[in-house]
Amino acid sequence: MLQAEEVSKRFGGLVALSAVSLDLRPGEVHGLIGPNGSGKTTLLNMISGFYPVDQGTVSLDGVALNTESVAQRAQRGIARTFQKPRLLGPLSVLDNAMLGGWRDVGSSFLATALSMPRAWREERELRERATQMLKGVGMAHALDRPANLLEHAEQRFLEIARGLVGRPRFLLLDEPAGGLTPTEIDHLATVIRVLREAGIGILLVEHHTDFVFRISDRVTALDLGRLVRHGTPDEVRNDAEVIRVYLGA
Amino acid sequence: MTERSRVTRIAMLLIGAVLLVVLPFLVRDQYQLHLAQLIGVYWILIAGLNLVVGYSGQLSVGHVGLLAVGAYAFAIIAGKYDIPPLLALAACGMIGGLCGFLLGLPSLRLPGFYFAMATLAFAVIVTEQSVAQTELTGGGVGLPVPGFNAPFDTPAGLYWLILAVAALITWLSWNVARLMWGRALIGVRDSEVAARSVGISIYRAKLIVFIFSGVTAGLAGGLFSSLQSYITPDTFVFELGLFFFTCIIIGGRGSIIGPFIGTIILTAIPEVVAPLARLGNFFYGFLLLVVVLLTPEGFGRLIQQVLARFSGKVNESKVVAPDPDLLRKALQGARN
Repeated sequence: MLQAEEVSKRFGGLVALSAVSLDLRPGEVHGLIGPNGSGKTTLLNMISGFYPVDQGTVSLDGVALNTESVAQRAQRGIARTFQKPRLLGPLSVLDNAMLGGWRDVGSSFLATALSMPRAWREERELRERATQMLKGVGMAHALDRPANLLEHAEQRFLEIARGLVGRPRFLLLDEPAGGLTPTEIDHLATVIRVLREAGIGILLVEHHTDFVFRISDRVTALDLGRLVRHGTPDEVRNDAEVIRVYLGA
Repeated sequence: MTERSRVTRIAMLLIGAVLLVVLPFLVRDQYQLHLAQLIGVYWILIAGLNLVVGYSGQLSVGHVGLLAVGAYAFAIIAGKYDIPPLLALAACGMIGGLCGFLLGLPSLRLPGFYFAMATLAFAVIVTEQSVAQTELTGGGVGLPVPGFNAPFDTPAGLYWLILAVAALITWLSWNVARLMWGRALIGVRDSEVAARSVGISIYRAKLIVFIFSGVTAGLAGGLFSSLQSYITPDTFVFELGLFFFTCIIIGGRGSIIGPFIGTIILTAIPEVVAPLARLGNFFYGFLLLVVVLLTPEGFGRLIQQVLARFSGKVNESKVVAPDPDLLRKALQGARN
């Protein structure tokens, strides 16, 4: 289980998060909603390690991760995507997806330079895995295309595929539906359901609340850096304070 | 890649390799052979530097310092201590790698511009020390450098030695570039955030590649000094460091053939076309300006684009349509 316990974050005088707790189990979709500036992405960045935790603990199966780097957490099987997709523009879609498998690369620089059989075996395995994963998320049409020629939706699905090639236990999605058409959001929902079924724990940071309520097993609502409500989609949707926060009443 | 284009590619590589091997019999005079030797030596350094600059995006302008270290190391070890030259050359590689490690350790944590300044400072320090340490380096007077033993004691023999080392280094860097490490390095260059999020430890990757570039610079330095037969601090001017850097930028980042062509063009043209030689640094500066303004990705990318235009792909699909069954299978396959 991936857990954030009573975590707080300050940026100068601004309290971005105050004592927020959230846990993510394998095989569930946990939606994290809130208005702009409520601290959703801040929390995701603290779980994935991009922001240090001021107070509180981030842990995986009871092991504290606070002092671990982003890379170390990724090596433990915590993958993520970004609000604005971060891809390697000149590389092909397939190369970008393969990069996600870095976690499974055991060949050292020297072994690679010497073209050792192990380096080639890993190369072949990751190429195969990345190809299958890209076909699965619907990117089969663009395997050889440079990432900087992709449409917005393609970039989003490629980022998800890159995360999956690393065989993650947990996948943190930062506004994955942003900029997608309704049809593309349906496709995204299809993909997320398959991932859940496969036992991956998914944190879904999103402000398309309809989409979150439709697909999540549990939802956490934040406002101004504090936890407003946590529960099933129905509980959260009908919560008076959540309604107040969203309608501004 | 289609089967046919692969065959064409292998055939071209073979022809190129044969031409390089028989080059000493094709040249018209010793001067042309010397030029080929020089290109080979520069390329040994640039092939390693290319992984640092072209792949990892770390703007080192100070590799002339590492070249100088290798050159002096060879002159001292082989000249003063009479160690067999081939052994001395291997030592140059190790010393270059050690210096790369010591230089990279503090400086690779710095952001782009400051890293470039640190490498520049290193080059300046090496030059200053080569003047100051008179006992070791002969100071401003310099040092004579011994040649290699037979069969590498003729110009053609030295050329083949350089060719062998260059081929080895090219092969090593090509393997790095085309396997997972190449993707990781481009990740470091194009998006540190993405690279970290897939588990790459940026600093460690940069340091390892920098050490490798130190080894190649050390080897190049050893061969370079033997080729020059006499070295002084003036041999290792800062412009030479800028020259290596320019070869890579003009050739194009993220390819191996691009910087190779860049090295040939920049080394040979001023020598072959006499009027350009008088222009000296102006010529390099002008060429750099033209490339950066007209084709920022370098010659390598330009060639690729032209080829892509001829292959003519149109009406590409842009529709993302996930296939749940395939995805399920892919996830299952990945777990095993």
